Amino acid sequence: MDLEIMKSYLPLYRDALLLTLKIGWQGVLLAFLTGLLCAVVLHLRVPLLRGIVQIYIELFRNTPLLVQLFFLYFALPKIGLRLSPGLCGSLGLGLIGGAYMTETIRSGLESIPVIQSESAASLGMNPLQAFRYVILPQAAASSVPGLIANVIFLLKETSVFSTISLMDLMFTAKDLIGMYARTTECLTLLVIFYLIMLLPVSFLGSLVERRMRYAEFGD
Amino acid sequence: MQSLGIDALFKGRNFLRLLEGLWVSVRISLIAVLISIVLGVVMGMLMTSKSRILKAVFRIYLEIVRIMPQMVLLFVVYFGTTRVFGWNLTSEAAAIIVFSFWGTAEMGDLVRGALISIPRIQYESARALGMKEGTLFRYVILPQTIRRMIPLSINLITRMIKTTSLVMMIGMVEVLKVGQQIIEANRKASPNAAFGVFGMVFFLYFLICWPISRLAAGLEKRWA
Amino acid sequence: MKNITIAKRIGTVVLGLTLAAGLPLNALTVKADAESAGNFRTLDEIKESGTINIGVFSDKSPFGYVDEYGEYQGYDVYFAERIGQDLGVEINYVSTEAASRIEYLETGKVDIILANFTVTEERAEVVDFALPYMNVALGIVSPEDAVIESLDQIGEDDEVIVISGTTAETYLEKNNPEIRLQKYDAYAEAKTAFENGYGAAWANDNTEVIAFAIENEGYVVGIPSLGSQDTIAPAVTKGNESLLNWLNEEIEALGGENFFHQDYEATLLDTYGKDYEDTLVVEGGKVGA
Repeated sequence: MDLEIMKSYLPLYRDALLLTLKIGWQGVLLAFLTGLLCAVVLHLRVPLLRGIVQIYIELFRNTPLLVQLFFLYFALPKIGLRLSPGLCGSLGLGLIGGAYMTETIRSGLESIPVIQSESAASLGMNPLQAFRYVILPQAAASSVPGLIANVIFLLKETSVFSTISLMDLMFTAKDLIGMYARTTECLTLLVIFYLIMLLPVSFLGSLVERRMRYAEFGD
Repeated sequence: MQSLGIDALFKGRNFLRLLEGLWVSVRISLIAVLISIVLGVVMGMLMTSKSRILKAVFRIYLEIVRIMPQMVLLFVVYFGTTRVFGWNLTSEAAAIIVFSFWGTAEMGDLVRGALISIPRIQYESARALGMKEGTLFRYVILPQTIRRMIPLSINLITRMIKTTSLVMMIGMVEVLKVGQQIIEANRKASPNAAFGVFGMVFFLYFLICWPISRLAAGLEKRWA
Repeated sequence: MKNITIAKRIGTVVLGLTLAAGLPLNALTVKADAESAGNFRTLDEIKESGTINIGVFSDKSPFGYVDEYGEYQGYDVYFAERIGQDLGVEINYVSTEAASRIEYLETGKVDIILANFTVTEERAEVVDFALPYMNVALGIVSPEDAVIESLDQIGEDDEVIVISGTTAETYLEKNNPEIRLQKYDAYAEAKTAFENGYGAAWANDNTEVIAFAIENEGYVVGIPSLGSQDTIAPAVTKGNESLLNWLNEEIEALGGENFFHQDYEATLLDTYGKDYEDTLVVEGGKVGA
């Protein structure tokens, strides 16, 4: 292993990390908003919309991101819809992530006992108020570990972005290997950078989970 | 716009080739899940051990599986092992190793959870009935654990099938790569084939994963 | 908690098995020959095994692609078939991407790379090239309504499509770092993206971009030759002399029967017509002959 060479690659990996984080973050945000919206639709059993949301969830949970990206990036332009690589990346993450987030948030909502909404109603709250002030805050808290797991999942999924010409961490490593054939160095750096990116998120996840369990059993 | 590639899909053996590509994905997933179940049971039992060293080892193992993209693991195993250990794995072997590595972690964690959650009274009752440890494990603990494992195993199969789309990147010809080959061979005759072919690949993945994941969800609900 | 002791006992046994996984792993390997020093199989070992592993493109028509019956076809493949025939072995085609070609040789996952591999100094340091069988330079193709005829025409915001691990990529990175590159893993992806209007131009081997412009309406090769005139040759793992020597003899011998002209006529004529036959083909390993 040649440390000098690894050092010379560092700026490229740093750029890749920033790009991965930028697109990953946009994707996560989009996924969360989509998930929240869809979960509310499912929870409140909005007619018609509910069916659409269910179809969306089944479609995107049962196909790989790579295939979704191929479709977004290579197939859609054939019918006249051309999106930039960056947009495809965040949109792809947002769509697949949204399907997973919906499930997580929905199970959070369902974990709140019915008596809570009944109590809210008896206090004179209308259903919307009850949802906004009683159900949502509690559901949000109990969904947090699941949400963090989803964030890790989405950030990992960025590793297929080479397909749509985005220079994420994985592609940077592959590209350098192709040009200079320093496989061991490139793969080592790749692993290190993924650790830098995801270990903190993972630790945060474990921490939150432990806190929540504590709260559950402590009181 | 022409045919959007429907013609290319049904030319020669093309459609059959796509299905063969899909079978490669399913095959890898099934083998990996079977290995994961076996190793996962063992790992789950080991995880209930009080040994600090074992605990630390498993903690690190689970953490790696949790945060390393499968794509990275595939590259490390496929190219890295040759460099470092001189093993020369085929891409299919590399894929099965990576998928089993991942599956074993999930199964192991699940088995551990199941073992811990089985009430102590069951052990005590079984012993009171004069069962030996082996019998106890075989007839009391295992059936309950398997019940919990089956939905997850099925669910894991669909997640693995989806993840097999990555093995294209280490040179395996699976459904997505066949799709690309079809588009490439028909670029002239059918310039918009990308739409039909990638649309079909999307649909095929859905067609195979959806029923399996419904089954898993159904079983989970029934046996929960 | 006696069940734990049982678990431990079973566990130790299986853990041992898992640790011994080196054994079954070897069974899954392409070659498990302890004798050969490097990561390659000698000529005799290949003959003995009855199969040769050849790395080709599966998405670079008309040089290496797969037809609708699932068969490998193209200029490189035509040559590969002959190699298999003359060695008297079966061929196992391995589909490669540009960026992994060196890796496949260095790790011995293929015996020969016949994936339109351009001979360059850098590559010759890590793999061994046999005699050439084709001429090549770089070329740039662009849409006919915005033809790029010189590199200065490429604007600051324009992106040029290249395939990761090709000579075009290395050339532009080295000589024109100001040009923004849009990189792809595979030929199929780069071409579809270019067709879809991503990128102002596509830089690749001129043979490939000429073929693209001929086969797809609305594209012009504005820069037909860029950088140095190079050749394309089979490559083997560094140090695999027996296989290298055999390949060189084979290529020289094939010159006697004008093999590569036949190859051209069988695989490339449809695309290029007669015009490129003499500029493209290298016969008997002699450039300019």
